[in-house]
Amino acid sequence: MVRKSLVLVLALSAVSLFAQASNVERALRDLLLGRQPAPAQDNKSAGQEKPAPAAMATPPQQAPAAQPERRPRTADLLGGLLSFVAEPPQTLEEERNIGRTVAGGLLGAAPLVRDDRLQRYVNLVGRWVALQSERPDLDWHFGVIDSEDINAFAMPGGYVFVTKGLYRQLNSEGELAGVLGHEIGHVIRKHHLRMMQQTRALADLGAVVGRRMEGGSAIASNFMGNFWEAFARGLDKDAEYEADRIGMVLAARAGYDAYGLPTVLQEIGHVSASDSRVAFLFRTHPHPDDRFAKLSEAVGNRLDGLPEGKTLSDRFYRIR
Amino acid sequence: MTSHRYVRHALLSVVLLLASPLWAASGTMLRDDQLRTAASATAAVTAQVPRGANVEVLARQGGWTQIRVGGRTGWVRMLSVRATESTQRDVGGELAGVIGLGTRQADPSRVVSVAGVRGLNEQDLKAARFDAQELERLDRYVVGRAEALAYAREGGLAARTLDYLPAPAQASRQSNPWEEPQW
Repeated sequence: MVRKSLVLVLALSAVSLFAQASNVERALRDLLLGRQPAPAQDNKSAGQEKPAPAAMATPPQQAPAAQPERRPRTADLLGGLLSFVAEPPQTLEEERNIGRTVAGGLLGAAPLVRDDRLQRYVNLVGRWVALQSERPDLDWHFGVIDSEDINAFAMPGGYVFVTKGLYRQLNSEGELAGVLGHEIGHVIRKHHLRMMQQTRALADLGAVVGRRMEGGSAIASNFMGNFWEAFARGLDKDAEYEADRIGMVLAARAGYDAYGLPTVLQEIGHVSASDSRVAFLFRTHPHPDDRFAKLSEAVGNRLDGLPEGKTLSDRFYRIR
Repeated sequence: MTSHRYVRHALLSVVLLLASPLWAASGTMLRDDQLRTAASATAAVTAQVPRGANVEVLARQGGWTQIRVGGRTGWVRMLSVRATESTQRDVGGELAGVIGLGTRQADPSRVVSVAGVRGLNEQDLKAARFDAQELERLDRYVVGRAEALAYAREGGLAARTLDYLPAPAQASRQSNPWEEPQW
């Protein structure tokens, strides 16, 4: 027991040393780039969530209010410390540049579906869902890309893509809202920036941040290569589960059926694992059945008091 | 004549399916839940359905799924039961609405295996070249706050307040999920 505590203390010390080093690195970078230290943004750590009351419906609001900052609980101290360490140091501008660089790369692999009404539609729905988050005014971009794969992608800075293959699986605007909500969850919790910090991509990050990379340079393509390598390994499972919980909540906040996302997960779970359309998705995410089960555990009876939302299946734009 | 017989056969199938309340997707209970008379937590409880029970999935309404188990029909929380087969693989393509599974439309892409179509894997991504033109195209579809609000209003959507859900590790600290939640 004593030995366990000692190990924990040692681990914590190491972590806090690393935290200091990160701060030093950040301060150095600020100095080198000749700018003021970045102001704290709308960063919220995963550990700051709190249970929801059973009945949470309120009268309709005109503009959704940002969720108030919540104080971390004692039980989350360790988690809080770890997420502080992992807090990506990028400014908003840097985050945007990284997102744009990677989004441009993705579009190079799979262009947008040539359907203006479809693209406009996903932006209308996506922006409304994103408005329910604590980063309502990011430069949100949503797009449907021309691939039969069943997948969706989020990039730092507010870039969200759904493949045509996944879009075809959807049956209502509420389901679309849930899927986009999941991706928005990755963006607002900066999951990819955190992941990049832990990979080689960080080495090239310094070269990409703070300037606009149009992909021509060797550094940019090297960065993209590293990013995708990390991307192909997938995010931490917990990040996916967290994004699922956020997806349900954001869709519900937007007035949609909260159960659109689990409905989609259930359907995708029925696609055979040998189907090549889900190979990449299944490799980079927990199995949809596990994600459904985790949502089941997280929701329990917490949403019992939530009035039924809208599915808007009539308004859903069906792909040609 | 053949087509006539086909039509008669199809009609008979439809009648049989409509007449048979037994048609349903199968499902498994992921957690213990209570069977209720209606899709609401305030509806009367008629039975307990244990985790692992095999049930028939009949319909869905909001956060509730109608099931049949042990000769009883009732409602459990949508996330308490997982359909073990697609509820959308509807016979004939039109019956889904009739049995209450929503207005699912037959989509050939769901069943036809897709061979030789454009996929997207890590190799494609790593090899991809930055596409500035497509990014510019993407920029053209961006929607502002006011437009998004207007479109939501048009659809009758109103923003609601709802806290984020805690991670299940925290949730499971509650002694009994069916007791009053603690916070």
